Amino acid sequence: MSESASSEHDSHHNLVVGNKKLLMWLFLGSDCMFFGTLISTHLIYRKLYPEEYDPTQLFSLELTSFSTFILLMSSFLMALAVSAMHKGELKSFRRNTLGVIFFGLIFLGCQVFEFSEFVHLGLTLQSGTFGSTFYLMTGTHGCHVAIGVFWLTCLLFYSYSGKMDAHESAIDVEAAGLYWHFVDIVWILIFTAVYLIEFIGKTGGAAH
Amino acid sequence: MKNIYHGILNSFATVVSLGILLMVTGCDLNTRMSTFKPKGPVAQEQLDLFMLTVWVTLGIFIAVGGTYLYVVIRFRERPNDTRPLPKQGHGNPLIEIGLIGISILLLVIIAVPTLKGIWYTQTTPNEPASRLGNWYTGEGLSEGEDENILTIKVFGYQWWWAFEYPQLGITTANEMVIPAGKAVHLELRSVDVIHSFWLPRIAGKVDLIPGRTNSMWIQAGNSFDRWQKERQDSIDSINATTAYETYLRDEIDGYYYGQCAEYCGDSHARMLFRASVVSDQGFADWVADHKEGNPTTPEGDNWNDWYATYDKDPDLLVGELNEGIKLFVGKAQCNSCHAINGNPRAAGVGGPDLTNLAQRLSLAAGWLNHHNEDGSIDESKQLENLTKWIHDPNSVKPGNLMWIARDGRGIGQLPQEDQLTIEESRKISLFLQTLK
Amino acid sequence: MSSTVTATPTTQSEHPVVLSPERSKLGLLRPDHGKSVIIDWLTTVDHKKIGIMYGAIALFFLLVGGLEALIIRTQLAVPENDLISAQRYNQLFTMHGTTMIFLAVMPLNAAFFNFLVPLQIGARDVAFPRINSFSLWAFVAGALVINFGWILQALEAMGLFSASGPTEGMNDFVPAMGWFGYAPITGIKFTGAGTDFWIMGLQILGIASLTAAMNFTVTIVNMRAPGMKMMRMPVFTWMTLVTSLLIVFAFPAITVALGELMFDRLFGTNFFVTAGGGQPILWQHLFWIFGHPEVYILVLPAMGIISEVLPTFAKKPLFGYPIVVFSGAVIGFLGFAVWSHHMFTTGLGKVATAAFSLLTMAIAVPTGVKIFNWVGTLWGGRVRFSPPMIFALGFVWMFMMGGFSGIMHSSAPADAQQQDSYFVIAHFHYVAIGGIFLAVVSGIYFWLPKMIGKMWKGNLSTWVAIFSTVGLNVTFFPMHFLGLLGMPRRTHTYLEGFGWETYNLVCTIGAYILAFGILLLVVDIIRCFRSGEPAGNDPWDARTLEWKTTSPPQVYNFGKTPIIHARDALWEDKYGPENRKCGEQAEDGHGIHMPSQSWWPLLASAGFIPLGLGLSLMQAGVPFMGYFAIFGLCLCTVGIALWAIEGPGGYHLHPKKDA
Repeated sequence: MSESASSEHDSHHNLVVGNKKLLMWLFLGSDCMFFGTLISTHLIYRKLYPEEYDPTQLFSLELTSFSTFILLMSSFLMALAVSAMHKGELKSFRRNTLGVIFFGLIFLGCQVFEFSEFVHLGLTLQSGTFGSTFYLMTGTHGCHVAIGVFWLTCLLFYSYSGKMDAHESAIDVEAAGLYWHFVDIVWILIFTAVYLIEFIGKTGGAAH
Repeated sequence: MKNIYHGILNSFATVVSLGILLMVTGCDLNTRMSTFKPKGPVAQEQLDLFMLTVWVTLGIFIAVGGTYLYVVIRFRERPNDTRPLPKQGHGNPLIEIGLIGISILLLVIIAVPTLKGIWYTQTTPNEPASRLGNWYTGEGLSEGEDENILTIKVFGYQWWWAFEYPQLGITTANEMVIPAGKAVHLELRSVDVIHSFWLPRIAGKVDLIPGRTNSMWIQAGNSFDRWQKERQDSIDSINATTAYETYLRDEIDGYYYGQCAEYCGDSHARMLFRASVVSDQGFADWVADHKEGNPTTPEGDNWNDWYATYDKDPDLLVGELNEGIKLFVGKAQCNSCHAINGNPRAAGVGGPDLTNLAQRLSLAAGWLNHHNEDGSIDESKQLENLTKWIHDPNSVKPGNLMWIARDGRGIGQLPQEDQLTIEESRKISLFLQTLK
Repeated sequence: MSSTVTATPTTQSEHPVVLSPERSKLGLLRPDHGKSVIIDWLTTVDHKKIGIMYGAIALFFLLVGGLEALIIRTQLAVPENDLISAQRYNQLFTMHGTTMIFLAVMPLNAAFFNFLVPLQIGARDVAFPRINSFSLWAFVAGALVINFGWILQALEAMGLFSASGPTEGMNDFVPAMGWFGYAPITGIKFTGAGTDFWIMGLQILGIASLTAAMNFTVTIVNMRAPGMKMMRMPVFTWMTLVTSLLIVFAFPAITVALGELMFDRLFGTNFFVTAGGGQPILWQHLFWIFGHPEVYILVLPAMGIISEVLPTFAKKPLFGYPIVVFSGAVIGFLGFAVWSHHMFTTGLGKVATAAFSLLTMAIAVPTGVKIFNWVGTLWGGRVRFSPPMIFALGFVWMFMMGGFSGIMHSSAPADAQQQDSYFVIAHFHYVAIGGIFLAVVSGIYFWLPKMIGKMWKGNLSTWVAIFSTVGLNVTFFPMHFLGLLGMPRRTHTYLEGFGWETYNLVCTIGAYILAFGILLLVVDIIRCFRSGEPAGNDPWDARTLEWKTTSPPQVYNFGKTPIIHARDALWEDKYGPENRKCGEQAEDGHGIHMPSQSWWPLLASAGFIPLGLGLSLMQAGVPFMGYFAIFGLCLCTVGIALWAIEGPGGYHLHPKKDA
């Protein structure tokens, strides 16, 4: 979508940040507020009704830590893909992007598994405020990951069309990379503020 | 140039129209819900702060507006203006910083009293004079409440009000009764959507928000002590009883109008309420009267006997009043939502409490009124209002639950062939008129 | 326009040829250079055409919103009036607010942003021309969705439609819960499908605003002509930048709030449902975190317009330009910190009330600074009472009055009496009509000759000014008193005997005077379109860059990109010393690169209509609407995908030397 700018319009070479990248930064700024609102809604209700739900009975730290680690690693691969694209190494770009997509899919798989587990254990969208805020927040994040996977898949296919050039497409890949890193950072926030924080002071917790 | 005249005309049109409006509006500020005629410390504090902001902004208005008019007139383009271009000055930092400084100073003038006002109006006082033990002489005060001031729980419904007096164990609807010159603590809750409690002459509004309890305090008029102190000289000559009566007449107007101030659905405009302010003794009497309710039928019989007859053979109960009661507990099922103290089968909780309904000066949450100028009740108007309200509640207050109730017991949900006739509505009304 | 230029497709050619459509990467013909005017406007990426469309649609909705207001005022003319039902009244005031804010003022501002910002900074177009087109059509889609309920309501009134499904038994198809939509009245228990139309419509409008805002931020930051430093930008462009950033950071709050509300209604979540533990107060916080910046989103562009008009007609630079810019930014920043002053009566607690009270007073300072600077601009100048100036002068006066009642609100205890009364209505209509509307009219008188190349005829503008300012004051000044005499807002009628009758009647008369003024404005605009008198490049002897080019500007704006050496670029070019005059960038021999037109932004935003309508109608129990919504979502996705694949394209123009 961000390809709209005609190349001529991007030709102010003295720019600090190019049009597409600046647009992506603005979108991410906006998205920050978006996730900020979602996470605060969750935390506010959590603080308001501390006894409503005991998530430590629900969360499986092993699984979520694993998926967090996977997402972190995907970010690392994403960085490699961007740098490969800048160097014009199409093969390396494809390999790394495929890795990102694969890891992204694992993360999504974990989330689907986690959600279905939770529903079995009785936590649904309708269960009090905890269910509502938890699913909307993590679900929105999941959607972001899914969109990212879709986007990267498109770029991967596009790289086989032979129309990719090192200069113009590198910016597109970089924009996708910014998005991916952002989604990753948001997850680390969610993991900390929503999952880990629940286990503070709970010895053992739901480790089993 | 013709345009100069246009521009000036434009400015003057504004000024003149404002002037005319001021004259028009300069008339009567002493109206039923006027915030300009406050009674009691809360509304007084709010008015004082408002007037402070008015004077400060008026000062700024005259200074800035005056300068503005002067500039526009003084520096206008003249016909055939051949002067050189104005100096292209870019501003003067000293003037600007000075003006910012003055603005901040002016705001401080408002800010300090505002902070005081916030704490004053939002902290319920617990002064000895207002404590129940020191003035409440009636019955039924709960244990341990002597040291507390009167508390009223206000519940907002679409579109009426319930007023519960937890310390006294009574509940009324739409017309609250409060003692003169005593601080009263209000707890505000809503059962459906957001409402807002506004009794303009006594206090500004506080919202009733579902899921939380808000609170505020009100006081109708200054306390008797303070009123006496302020009139030390003039009341020396009169005795205490006369003084209290004078106080009630002069300081306490007696009857106040309020309204829901937060949009709450279809009939938001028809969600009014009243506050009746009475003497200490009057309050005790009212509580006693309300607790007792209507322990006998209009004809003076025991309710249990009446219901025994009703269950055996309702046809034995004849006469318009009895017909009315039969409809009330029978076909119209009024008692499934409404309560009347003393009447064993009228104990519903979904709708407004009807105890002593006929004593109230209004109906349908203040929308239908039936009192004379002097505060007495116009009984024929009352009957007319009751009949209208019962017969066609949906046109009086669209969307209300007396017509279509969620549990299916609304009057409008009666089978088509079984709808209340106007005559039946009148009979119920006649019965309700006996509730005093 | 192609009559004055010759051009070639992307490959440069020695010989000028007539432009013809080229194929995109999809292999489809691009809609450029077609014969059909309709296709040209539907697929245009030209910021000037998009701006004009924004303006035209916004003026239409301004009239719709005005008509709604007139019905409201007529209903209130006398006590216990039954001209319209309570429900209809509630729908009218809800739609009046929603329409005026989201469908009239915001797009009017967008119209000025679009038309002016690239011209003022010496750019060829916005940074993302196709996103710009997408924003416009998404706005139209949102407007249609939000107003669709009127059709259902008409059908319902004729007995042809009634709701089933989740909202069975509810017959409100036009939103009736106020533009602020306070939970829980927006819940499925209390309101019908009208609320769903409102949620979906606002969500779509939010997307339109967000994309437009990001686009303008990038444009202003990146697309400025050489030498157009930030502190040389016209103030209107500055205010556009601040407004855009406000949109970028404020809209997510309402997006999330609307999303949560939608989940509550569609999927039974408990964000605002008290029975499930939800706190309706949360909605108010989220809404006003968006809603207060929104107030500045509406008013800052108006301030920008005034900051352009006053210096032009006083023949002096803006007094204290850096402070005006800085105060605009401070207003934007503080705008995020005062939201709870809309909630003084909700039981915030003393400390929060005090803090928000003080912050609200603080925001009066930068606002006051602007007034001082405008007066300072006129001081020592030569004030010419041309039509734009009349309105600008009226703006300063009326906006000042609206500001004063704002200061009165900032004192929380005093506000307890004013909140939700007619006093508040008086306050924000002084700001909205006396401020924003007069500024926008001033802007129309100022820039319409630039937009269409024709000059105003006659002096109807004077009458517009007289009727609208007199009407405004007659309508809204008495409302201060109405509020203080205890009349609450949003009441469809009132009892006799509360001392409100005279005021209400006067207000209603005023509303008709104001309406007549607006009618005259429409007549004058039509007369301007029919005027034969050419405007020329610079009819007002103005100061900024947009007046340097032709009226109307060529599709490429500037034949040669100007090089800027000073603030007030055109003024310096005309009257300044040699070293401050504009330069011109040398031609690079490739001609002017123009973006290609495209169908896909239109298609992508058209997808919002079935998406929004589908989800709302589903709530009203219309069958198969879920599939309709999915169809809409597919349409969006397909549109965006094709848009990405087709490539930006573009072609080169070679303006003749005389252009």
